[in-house]
Amino acid sequence: MMKVTVRFFGTLSQKFPGYDPEKGLEVEIADGARVKDLLARLRISEVKGGVVAVDGKILHLENPLKQGASVHLLQTVYGG
Amino acid sequence: MKFVKVNMSEKSVQFQEVPKDYVGLGGRGLTSVMINAEVPPKCDPLGSENKLIFAPGLLSGTNLVNTSRLSIGAKSPLTGTIKESNAGGTVAAALGHLGITAIIVEGQAARGDLSILRIDEKGEANLLPAQAYKGMRTYAFAKKLLEAYGEKTAILCIGPAGESQLTAASVQTTDIDGRPCRAAGRGGLGAVMGAKGLKAIVVDQRGKSADAIADPKAFNEAAKAFAQTIKAHPFSGQMLPALGTAGLVAPVNSLGAFPCYNATKGVLEGWEKISGENMAKIITERGGKTAHMGCAQCVVHCSNEYVDKQGKYVTASLEYETIWSMGGMTGITDLDTIAKLDYLCDDIGLDTMSTGVAVAVAMDAGQAKFGDGEAAIRMVEEVAKGTEFGKVLGNGPAAVGKHLKHHRVPVVKGQSIAAYDPRGMQGNGVTYATCPMGADHTAGNVIGDYLGGALDPLKPDGQVAASRNSQIAMASVDTMGLCLLASVVLKTPEGGEAFLKALNAKLGTNLGPEAIPAFGIKVLQAEREFNRKAGFTSKDDRLPEFFYKEPLPPHNKVFLISDVDLDSTFNF
Repeated sequence: MMKVTVRFFGTLSQKFPGYDPEKGLEVEIADGARVKDLLARLRISEVKGGVVAVDGKILHLENPLKQGASVHLLQTVYGG
Repeated sequence: MKFVKVNMSEKSVQFQEVPKDYVGLGGRGLTSVMINAEVPPKCDPLGSENKLIFAPGLLSGTNLVNTSRLSIGAKSPLTGTIKESNAGGTVAAALGHLGITAIIVEGQAARGDLSILRIDEKGEANLLPAQAYKGMRTYAFAKKLLEAYGEKTAILCIGPAGESQLTAASVQTTDIDGRPCRAAGRGGLGAVMGAKGLKAIVVDQRGKSADAIADPKAFNEAAKAFAQTIKAHPFSGQMLPALGTAGLVAPVNSLGAFPCYNATKGVLEGWEKISGENMAKIITERGGKTAHMGCAQCVVHCSNEYVDKQGKYVTASLEYETIWSMGGMTGITDLDTIAKLDYLCDDIGLDTMSTGVAVAVAMDAGQAKFGDGEAAIRMVEEVAKGTEFGKVLGNGPAAVGKHLKHHRVPVVKGQSIAAYDPRGMQGNGVTYATCPMGADHTAGNVIGDYLGGALDPLKPDGQVAASRNSQIAMASVDTMGLCLLASVVLKTPEGGEAFLKALNAKLGTNLGPEAIPAFGIKVLQAEREFNRKAGFTSKDDRLPEFFYKEPLPPHNKVFLISDVDLDSTFNF
């Protein structure tokens, strides 16, 4: 198993009572897990947003995650 | 369908049936086509030959939700190009209720002479003297106007910056609560209004002479379905009511494309403090409003009321672009200071974006340290005081750069970029470079393509097409009077279908889906033709040199789109 730290943005954190935005949420997932596995683990559907960014880049559903990654979980926005 | 034609030289007001060449146009479609047809392209933007046109969208004033955008058009004194800047609030709906297709302001009053155009409940229009309000800031002015003409009055007005004809001057307009906190900020149209000698337009909101809807039953059914799609969409139905446009601070910083410290970095240190998430927390703790109805007919409620530690009103609405210009670009990470700067700009009648970037250029040139909030407030106050530096700052970042001989000035055609760095979001750079109105964020934002995974923001491939499609779509949306935030549902099958049904029911037409982009293409063609006649060439469709030479951390990319590709943006 490996651990990643997830930070939620938009309204996504509402699903996680007690979530601390300064610390983020530590999530344990299987070694070699992909973005889609993390979203499934967090029960966040694509419809609700669930855009994953690591190190300043958007990852696709099939991209693998690494141990210790700092994951930003964002919602799709269209400008403002 | 009528025009209100106001001649400021003669102090006359006349009504005119809409000529057939302009029938079926509204909003930006009408302002741009009319300016291209009637304004001498090489005229002085602050002279008598320019026209200032106020046009509600094609659907404004109907019960189709989120159609309360008012387009204001003229030749811009900031860019020298054709310009449309639009604002929400209540004026567009009020004009629609009176069956007024546009107010066209021509000529020029004698120097120092000021008037108010008043349109009453029956649609009668008169010019009234406004000398008593000379130099008045917008909040105090709007209060006086509401006392004089009643609470059901929608107001468009300028502050001291517009009266002084400074080219970063905005036209402010009132929200649902009568506060002049919404703005047509871009392009210096407040200066054009000041040059005309027009301090305000006041419109009674209780008009009952709207243009007929061809098929009211079909229209109402489509309008209901359209509202439901907006409420059901995750962006317009959930995220915007919760965080407002400030919800963009996190994604854009997360992608390393938030231009900060005068566009020298792509991630602001401490951006979390000025994020939408933190703003909502602060507002909630202090008893303000995180969701607020700012515009007539709105179901999104992206507006907010920012309050101080005592719970007292500071400003509405604190928006992403302002948080960026006054926060990111200046390195200020204190939301209270940013809110104060937002209020000051609204009150003086200044574009928050051009002003914030002008402050950032001054800081970069050594006038103050990045992050110095007190210095930023002092600089903005200088505009209202009319000091020499205040006059320079009020003319925007290009004027500040020239004055201080500083090379790093993030403008295109004289207008500042917006809150997406072209090196971190290459497609937005295409829009900045090629938009007929100078750098602009509402004219063709591509961020949705990046977050949706359709396009890599750092590679040149596909950026021109993405910008082109977005620029066409936005020109169409601006013609309809539709809020761009609500327009996101046009990309869904049910939202697009409902909107088209409503448009056809309103006009009595049978247009297909291809008709929507056709509006946008017609608008862009008119705008580019005007610019060509004004002397602009493809060489003007470029970013400043530093975007090609100075890599932006953290991705350390420069702007990669070739000139040839930029010149293919409008290949229609």
